[in-house]
Amino acid sequence: MSGDRVVVGYTATDAGADALALGARLGAALGAPVHAVVVLPSAENNVSIPTDAGYERLVQDTARGWLREAVAPYPGIHGHVRSAHAVSDGLVAAAEEFGAGVIVVGTGGGAPRGRHRLGTTAEELVHSAPVPVALAPEGAREVDPSVGLPRVTAAIGTRPGADVLLDTAASLSRRSQAPLRLLSLAGVDLPGRVDASLTRLTGQAHAQSVLDAVRTALPAEIEAEAVVGAGSDIEDAVSRIDWHPGEVALVGSSRLAQPRRLFLGSTAGRILRALPVPMIVVPRTSEASS
Amino acid sequence: MTSSPGGASPAPDSAVTTGISNKGLRVGSIGMIGAVVIGISTIAPAYTLTGALGPTVSAVGFQVPAIILVGFIPMLLVALGYRELNSRMPDAGTSFTWAARAFGPWVGWMAGWGLIAATVIVLSNLAGIAVDFLFLLIAQITGNAEIAELTRVVPINVAVCLLFMLLATVVSYRDLQTTQRLQYGLVGFQILVLLVFAGAAVVEMLNGNAFDASPVELSWFNPFEVPSFSAFAAGLSLSIFIFWGWDVILTMNEETKDPDKTPGRAATVTVFLIVALYLLIAVALLMFAGNGTGELGLGNEDIQENVFFHLSGPILGPLAFLVSLAVLTSSASSLQATFVGPARTLLAMAHYDALPRKFAKVSPRFFTPGYATIVSAIVASAFYAVMRVLSENVLTDTITALGAMICFYYGITAFACVWYFRKQWFDSARNVFLTLLAPLIGGLILAVLFVTTLIDSASPDYGSGSEIGGVGLVFVITVVIIVVGLVLMIAQRIASPGFFRGETLGRDAPASARRRRLTP
Repeated sequence: MSGDRVVVGYTATDAGADALALGARLGAALGAPVHAVVVLPSAENNVSIPTDAGYERLVQDTARGWLREAVAPYPGIHGHVRSAHAVSDGLVAAAEEFGAGVIVVGTGGGAPRGRHRLGTTAEELVHSAPVPVALAPEGAREVDPSVGLPRVTAAIGTRPGADVLLDTAASLSRRSQAPLRLLSLAGVDLPGRVDASLTRLTGQAHAQSVLDAVRTALPAEIEAEAVVGAGSDIEDAVSRIDWHPGEVALVGSSRLAQPRRLFLGSTAGRILRALPVPMIVVPRTSEASS
Repeated sequence: MTSSPGGASPAPDSAVTTGISNKGLRVGSIGMIGAVVIGISTIAPAYTLTGALGPTVSAVGFQVPAIILVGFIPMLLVALGYRELNSRMPDAGTSFTWAARAFGPWVGWMAGWGLIAATVIVLSNLAGIAVDFLFLLIAQITGNAEIAELTRVVPINVAVCLLFMLLATVVSYRDLQTTQRLQYGLVGFQILVLLVFAGAAVVEMLNGNAFDASPVELSWFNPFEVPSFSAFAAGLSLSIFIFWGWDVILTMNEETKDPDKTPGRAATVTVFLIVALYLLIAVALLMFAGNGTGELGLGNEDIQENVFFHLSGPILGPLAFLVSLAVLTSSASSLQATFVGPARTLLAMAHYDALPRKFAKVSPRFFTPGYATIVSAIVASAFYAVMRVLSENVLTDTITALGAMICFYYGITAFACVWYFRKQWFDSARNVFLTLLAPLIGGLILAVLFVTTLIDSASPDYGSGSEIGGVGLVFVITVVIIVVGLVLMIAQRIASPGFFRGETLGRDAPASARRRRLTP
């Protein structure tokens, strides 16, 4: 990841705890400092309620209390209270302030265990953030911290522009000493008349060639493999693959994204729907490559 | 300085920081126009006038313009003291915290209770007015006048009102904000419609189409023409209600672009706008409808509780729906601003252990006083439903009771200012005026109004003439509210005595800055 710190968008909810747990695990795996940030609404966009300095201070104090309690089990994690027009703006600003390479948010918000449900903030981030965004599904807070980062899976497409994704995945894998798995979903979700076994073969060949390229960027002791998903559709294929508790899945931004910004494409959105582990959405182009 | 909930920051805590020099600035974000817009939308002139004009006419007759002018004086005097307290001890508990600092926990508790009661009553009145105008608007748009009468069917009325309260609660709980453009548009629309309404009333009167043409007289502006002191007091406590909410502009210091000038200027602009609008509408409607008890006369008890509801049709004809729309939007945007008051006070009281801890809960997702907001909504809904059944003229009676409750807690706040700053009175000429004379006179006026209203309202003829066991309903409401407050206070004292022993919020009086200078 580009920057070497982790910013967690924290709220005193289960989703916030999911995000903090994932952020802590990522930070530990990467040896990166972690900053938990509560973003309060700014008075800027307030046009209907009389503002009250006393109440705002009380909310800030309350937020500090939440953070103090939340970071207590994680020595070394710092808590910060910020205010911004929107939570997503505040987190992007915090990522800049702390030089973070990833923003972590929870996507629990009433979703069943192990599932993602994008709220306003996560939705805005995966469609505009300038740095990778990690989404912690419901229940991420219950993953045993000792599992660390057991594996990094990158969902690769056949279209150009996956370089940044592969670089990020390889660097994540290298820094955390976690095995890398490349996942191709090329053969899934094609019209019925296309020969499924043929596309599967093509997908396998493609994945293998990508794997060979990535291999060179990884130290020999790190395992790497390539798998090809199969199923009636993307969701089905994703749910048929085995996922270790605690591993993370990387997906690239859509081609619709602005330069150096995220944009969660439709395939990535469908992967997210079935994914039982955290997802990290990576920009298509990085600062360096453009 | 204080251990206020927001006051001084806690001891340096290396693990947790608060950003100040960050991009997400809070400071300096509201300009003068923004502050005026917030002020006007909080006061909600369209809503306020339709609710308060009738009861005021019933108290003082043609001298409504005089009462509007005079009513501003105690409001201004108290607001000046309010501003002093707010800049010295900004605190979400406002009146509660300040009165507790000055007079100790018992008085502080009752001041907080008065504030909560007043705002809960106004919430129910706001929603009640909104219900009337919703039906009227539908009737005007569909051309079916019978729909407007549905508001008189108690179960329908109560059900729709509860629905409004539910919506307002969701909006407040989730802190949903309208966009700046929409808010400016709504406030502009409200003012424009009121101007058109007043203009049309005058034109109709000049064209000889008035219901009871009454040429404007200078005596309308003379408060000494009011027949009795009781009438004067009743009118005055109502006109305090119409300015209620104005004071919030004065206290918006830290968020404004220029804290030294913006709030003062915005407050001045707002009050001139509001007073001009009020005078214009009051005079125009009196010219059109007179003070008689005839069908459309402002002296007619049947139309007094909601004047615009009955007069917009005769005056504006097919355009009357504009008035309905203005009142509806004005009540709706005021509902949100009003919800904040009781919820924040309940939260602050719980924070100091003066109420059960549950009330201190801040929503972790929306950063609003979640529990307190919901409780306020439930109490306001219940209050409205009970009143709708008990009273013949629920809106009139709630407005009058509201006037009394405002006098009660505002009066305590004014005296709290005087007493809190007792060691600093003579530090400067400014202090003599702002911490002694202004709040003292304002507080005394409110105290006299409160007592007079209380005594007069015991008569069964008072207000709408609703009574319980031969005692006026307004009196019963006011006394019941205060007694319930006393009972709850004692219950909390027994359950959790810390606050009442002064452990969480001690009495205090800042020392004179002068003496410190003389004896270094």
